[in-house]
Amino acid sequence: MVRGLLVLFFFQWLGEWISLATQAPIPGPVIGMLLLLLALLLRQKVSSGLQQSSHVLVQHLSLLFLPAGVGIFFLSKDVIAQWPAIAVAMVLGTLISLVLSSWIVKKQVRSDD
Amino acid sequence: MIEQLKNSLTQLTSSEHLNQLSAIILTLAAYQFGQFCYQRSNRLMLFHPVVIAGCMIAAVLFYFDISYSQYRDGSQLFYFLLGPATVALAVPLYQEFRHIRQLAGPILITVMLGATIAAGSAVLLGGLMGAEGEVLRSIASKSVTTPIALGISDKIHGISTLTTGVVVATGILGALMAPLAFRLCSLTDPRLQGIVLGLNAHGIGTAVAFEKNASCGAFSSLAMGLTGAFTALTLPYAIHFFGI
Repeated sequence: MVRGLLVLFFFQWLGEWISLATQAPIPGPVIGMLLLLLALLLRQKVSSGLQQSSHVLVQHLSLLFLPAGVGIFFLSKDVIAQWPAIAVAMVLGTLISLVLSSWIVKKQVRSDD
Repeated sequence: MIEQLKNSLTQLTSSEHLNQLSAIILTLAAYQFGQFCYQRSNRLMLFHPVVIAGCMIAAVLFYFDISYSQYRDGSQLFYFLLGPATVALAVPLYQEFRHIRQLAGPILITVMLGATIAAGSAVLLGGLMGAEGEVLRSIASKSVTTPIALGISDKIHGISTLTTGVVVATGILGALMAPLAFRLCSLTDPRLQGIVLGLNAHGIGTAVAFEKNASCGAFSSLAMGLTGAFTALTLPYAIHFFGI
């Protein structure tokens, strides 16, 4: 477990460092994820410690989002003034892109068969 | 004696340390309660821990007149752990890598088209409803995972607090409405469902995808990462091109 955490934090540190040094628009943890994936592909196996600690974190991903999510209830006044436009863009826009992307992915995989 | 106790109590509540502990306890307790409701409702999306616990925490903050910024400062621990959690997504990605490689073409095409539709539909609908440029720029990155969305919003001069709110709301809405889209398109393959979830509902969609099964979650994390990278690389130019 501790070894797994060490690996995760090390790759995050590496990613943050690269993100900072290259001024890339992609955040450090995402670069860290890609580097760890590359390392696992080279090594061809996942240690049990890494398996354990990554499982715990991934299983409770929504807990980690919770504090940011609460922010919806506390938006500033000038934003609330434009809420009808924002609400339509979010609800309808998300529904449209959900349906279209489901259709697109289905269409391609079927034609691959 | 009592006066002394009272004094030390007010000192304690103003301490940063205690604020952190209170925020952590509140978040964990609300999450626990949210999970209980979710299990009891047979995993109805409307009772997802993010929804139930989010409302509960907001209610507590309103009732005790605690500012959101104080709660946010106190709950930094969870935000901090989002970093290693993102890195941890590499493990399920590695375990599903064989399947991912088989579907590489469809994944890439779906992500590029889907990310464009997600950003385009939000800006178009918002614009038709009369939202202003600054708001449009803030909602354009609504389907991108929070850390990347904040980077994009900053780059294209959006309002960062609005972007955070819109991103999280989109994640919840996307996860709520996804079953509807799956039924409409009769999309039953959990791997393909994962792509749609990660593409439209980023981290929250991915959290829901992992509850379905590991392979759905792995595809969702991949789609989330690709959508973020693609949007970060293209949206600033698109905004400039259309003069929004």
